[in-house]
Amino acid sequence: MSLKAVHLVFVTALSALCAGLAVWKLVDFFRPTGQAGDLALGVVGLLCAAGVVVYGRYFLKKLKSVGYL
Amino acid sequence: MDIPYTVQPRPDTGVYNAKVGMWLFLASEVMLFGGLFSAYILLRVAAPEGTWPHGWLSIPLGTLNTLILALSAVTVLLAWAACKARMFDRYKFFQGITLLLGVIFLGIKGYEYHDKLTHYTVVLKDGRIADGHWVSATPSEVVLKGEFVAERSELADRRGRAKAHEEIRLARDQVQKMQVYGPAYNTYLALYFTMTGLHGLHVLGGLVVFAFLWGPGSRLWKTDPDRFTNRVEVAGLFWHFVDLVWIFLFPVLYLT
Amino acid sequence: MQATSPAIPASTHHPAHHPETGFWRTYIFSTDHKVIGIQYGITALCFLFFGFLLMLMMRWQIAHPGEPVPIVGPLLAAVLGDVAARGVMSPDLYNSFGAMHGTIMVFLGVVPLAVGAYGNYLVPLQIGANDMAFPRLNMMSYQLYFLGGIVMLTSFFIPGGAAQAGWTSYSPLATAIPTDGQTFWLIGMVFLITSSLLGSVNLITTIIQLRAPGLTWMRLPFFVWAQFTASFLLLLAFPPLETAGILQLMDKLAGTSFFLPTGLAIGGKLADISGGGSPLLWQHLFWFLAHPEVYVLILPAMGIIGEIIANNTRKPLWGYKSLVFSVLMIGFISFLVWAHHMYLTGMGTRISAFFQTTTMIISIPSVIILTALLISLWGGSIRFNTPMLFALAFLPMFGIGGLTGLPLGFSASDIHLHDTYYVIGHFHYVVAPGTIFALFAGIYYWFPKITGRRMNEYWGKVHFWGSLLFMNLIFMPMFVQGLAGMLRRMSDGGLQYSAAKVPGVAGALSGPILGLNNFILWAAAGLAIAQIPFIINFFWSIAKGQPVRSDNPWEATTLEWQTPTPPPHGNFLKPPQVYRGPYEYSLPGYDKDYVPQNQPPG
Ligand code: HEM
Ligand SMILES: [Cu+2]
Repeated sequence: MSLKAVHLVFVTALSALCAGLAVWKLVDFFRPTGQAGDLALGVVGLLCAAGVVVYGRYFLKKLKSVGYL
Repeated sequence: MDIPYTVQPRPDTGVYNAKVGMWLFLASEVMLFGGLFSAYILLRVAAPEGTWPHGWLSIPLGTLNTLILALSAVTVLLAWAACKARMFDRYKFFQGITLLLGVIFLGIKGYEYHDKLTHYTVVLKDGRIADGHWVSATPSEVVLKGEFVAERSELADRRGRAKAHEEIRLARDQVQKMQVYGPAYNTYLALYFTMTGLHGLHVLGGLVVFAFLWGPGSRLWKTDPDRFTNRVEVAGLFWHFVDLVWIFLFPVLYLT
Repeated sequence: MQATSPAIPASTHHPAHHPETGFWRTYIFSTDHKVIGIQYGITALCFLFFGFLLMLMMRWQIAHPGEPVPIVGPLLAAVLGDVAARGVMSPDLYNSFGAMHGTIMVFLGVVPLAVGAYGNYLVPLQIGANDMAFPRLNMMSYQLYFLGGIVMLTSFFIPGGAAQAGWTSYSPLATAIPTDGQTFWLIGMVFLITSSLLGSVNLITTIIQLRAPGLTWMRLPFFVWAQFTASFLLLLAFPPLETAGILQLMDKLAGTSFFLPTGLAIGGKLADISGGGSPLLWQHLFWFLAHPEVYVLILPAMGIIGEIIANNTRKPLWGYKSLVFSVLMIGFISFLVWAHHMYLTGMGTRISAFFQTTTMIISIPSVIILTALLISLWGGSIRFNTPMLFALAFLPMFGIGGLTGLPLGFSASDIHLHDTYYVIGHFHYVVAPGTIFALFAGIYYWFPKITGRRMNEYWGKVHFWGSLLFMNLIFMPMFVQGLAGMLRRMSDGGLQYSAAKVPGVAGALSGPILGLNNFILWAAAGLAIAQIPFIINFFWSIAKGQPVRSDNPWEATTLEWQTPTPPPHGNFLKPPQVYRGPYEYSLPGYDKDYVPQNQPPG
C-alpha cells in the first residue's frame, strides 16, 4: 500500500472519530443533564467530520495519477 | 554489489524493498499496540464499579493535539507529492511544517505530563483528603491549590466539575501519605503514561527521521531523487501509523 | 575460512569493483549475510553450551540436594559468593539457573541458531539472491542480539543474581522477588525481541523481493517456506511479549500495578501499591507469544530435515504442496491455541473447549508434515551419512514429543499433568532430540559449503549414537516421574514430597521415582561426554577436514550448492535463473540422478 492508500485509511478513521464524537456529544446534549458545552463540541465534531470528508475527496482527485500499491 | 529493487518496484510484487519492510514492521507495531489496547480493555473491564476515572485529562488540549497530528499527516502527504512532482522547495516547506507540528505535539504532551506530575493527592492523619496542584513547600508545610474531599471516590469522575482554586496549607506532620499523579497513582494513570509515553517515543523517532530527511539526508535528492522520494514515502507510512494510533488513544484515554 | 577457498578473487567476477575491506569490516562489522549468519551460529552455539552447563549443575542439585557441586563447586562459591556457599547450590541459585537455562536455550540458543544463523546464511543462497534485502539492518539485528545476551549474562553477577521466576516470568512472583535480576531479564528481552523483529522483517522482505528470476513460490525449497513462516511468527507474536515486558518493567521500576492485584501481600505484608492489576494478563500476553514461539523452534528444524531427506533419499519430497500448506496452517493456528498453557487458571468450560479444539486441530498439520517426511523415505536408496542419521532420528523423536503433547492439550488430563516433569519431558522431546538434532544435522550437511571441508564421518556417527542414546535416557524417565506427580522447578528434586519425608501420605513420591533423578544425572553426564567428539570434530575439520572436490559434494539440486565454495561476497558468479522445482532427483532421462534448479530444460 502506498502512502496514498494509507492516507485514505487515515482520513477515514479521522472522519469516523469526528462523527463519533459529534453523535456522542449531541446525544449527551439532548439528555436532561445536557449542557451547552456538549452542544458546542457536538457541532464542532460534525463540522470537522464534514471538513475531513471534503478534504478526502479533494486529495483523491488531486492524486489521481498515483497508485494504491 | 547492488541489491535489486531498492529503488524501482519489483515487477511481479509491484513494490520496492523498503516499502515491504516498512509494512512488515508496521504489522508488528500493530501487534505491539494491540497488546497494549488489550491490556487496557482487560484492566478497565476488571476495574470495580465506579472507580474508573473520567474527565482527568483536558479535552481541549487533546483535541488540539489530534488536530495537529491530523494536519501533520496532510503535510507529510503533500511533502511526498511534492517529491513526486519534482518540486524540492515545496518538499522542504511541507516537511518543515511536519517537523514543526510534531514538535508542538510533543510540547503540548509535555505540558500535560507536567500538569499531572505536579498534581497531588494528600491523605491526612485525620482522614481528610486534599487534592490539588503543588504551589510551594517548606520543611514544615506543603501548599496546594485545590480542594478537600471526604472520600477518594469523589475524585473518580471529574466531568463538568469546576477547577477548585482555594489555596490549602497542610502541615507536614499531619500528612499520612502524599501521592503524585504519576504512573503509580492508579491503573488509569499507569495506562495513560505507558500508552502515551510509548506513542510519544514513536513520535520522537518519526521526528528524528524527518529531521534527517529535511536536513543532511536531503542531499540524496541531487544524486538519486527516486530513492529519496521512496524514503519520504516510507517515513510517511510510519508517521501515518503513529497518527492512527493517536486516533485510537484519544477517545480511549480522553473522552470515555 | 577465506583461506580454504579455491582462490576466486572477489573482484574478478563482479561487475563493480570492491575495495579491500579490513579485518573489522570483514569479520566483526560485516554486512554480508553469510558472515552474519556465522556470527549468529557461533554465538548461539556458545549460548547452547552454556545453557547446557547450567542444566548439568541443576541436575546435580536435584539428584543430590545440599551436596557441593563437584568440579565447579569451588568456582561457583568464589564467583557467586553466598548463594553458592561451600559450592552448594542454594534454592535461590537453583531458581536463577532454571530461569536462565530456559531463557538462554530458547531466546539465545535455539532461535538465533535456527533463524538467525540458518536463515541468514541459507535463505539468500537458496533463493538465488546476492544478499539480504537490508544488509545494514541485518548487522544491527546481530548486534542487538549480542547486547541482549550480554545483559542476560551480566545479570548473574549483580547482587541477588539473575532472574528467578522461570523463563515464563509470571507476575506477581517475578515482580515481588526483591532483586534486580528480573529488571535485567526484561531489558535483555527487549533487546532480543527488537533483534528478532528486525531480523524477521529482513528475512521476509528478502524472500518476497529477492527471489531469482523463475523462482516462483511453489519452486521454493521447503526450508525457505519454513523460515518464511517462522519469521512471520516472530514478527507478529513477539510484539505482545514486548508489550508485556514493558508493562512488567513499569511495575518493577515505576511502581505501577499492571500485573499486581489489589490486596497483594508480599512476605506477609500488604504491598504498598495501587493494585487493580491482573496476573492473568501477563500469562495471556506471555503465551500469546510463547506458543507461536515453540513453532518458531520447530519449523526451521522441519525445513532442515526436509532438505536433508530429499537429498539423501535421492527422491523428491513426498507431498511438497501439502508440506507447504501444513506449514502455513501451523503458522496461522498457532496464534489461536495459547491458553492451553493456562487450563489451571480456572477458565470457563467454553473458553477451555475452544482452546482444546484448536489444540487438537493444530496437531493435524504437524502430523501431516511428519507423515509426508516419513513417506518420503519409502522406496528411496537412502545414504546413511551423519546428517541423514540425525534427520532420521528427528522423525520418531519429534513424534514422541508431539504425541505426548496431546494429553496436555485436553484440560481434563492436563490438570493432572500440568507443572509436572511430564511437561518437561514433552517439550524437551520436541526441542532437544527434535530441533537440536535437526540443527546438528544441518551443521554436518552445510559444513562443506561453508568451509570447503567435510566433517569427519566416523566421529560424526559416534556423536550421533551417543546423543541419541543419552537423550532418551534423560527424557524418557521424566514421563514416569511426571505421571507419578513430581512437580517441576523444585530445587530439592521433590524430596520434601517423598514417602521418606511424609510417610503414609497418599501420592507421596516413592523411592524409585526419586531415584530416577540420579539416573538422569548420569545420563546427562553421558550426553555431555557424547558432545566431545562433535566439538573436536567441528574445530578440527575447519582446519584439517577432508577438502571437498566439487562445489556440490552432496549432489544436491537447490541453489546454495550452485555457488563457489565458500560463496564469495555477492554469492553467485552470475545471477541464477531458475527453471524447475527444488527436488528434481532421479528424473528419468538424465545422465545424473539430480537436476539443479538452475539447469535449463533439455
Ligand atoms: C504437536 C502437538 C503439540 C501439542 C498438542 C502440545 C501441547 C502442549 C500443551 C497443552 C502444553 C502445556 C502443558 C502444561 O503446562 O500443562 C505444552 C507445553 C509445552 N510445549 Fe507443547 N505441544 C505440541 C507441540 C510442541 C512443539 C512442536 C513444541 C516445541 C518445539 C512444544 C513446546 C512446548 C513447550 C516449550 C512447553 C512448555 C512451556 C512451559 O510451561 O514452560 N510443544 N504443549
Ligand atoms: Cu503451546
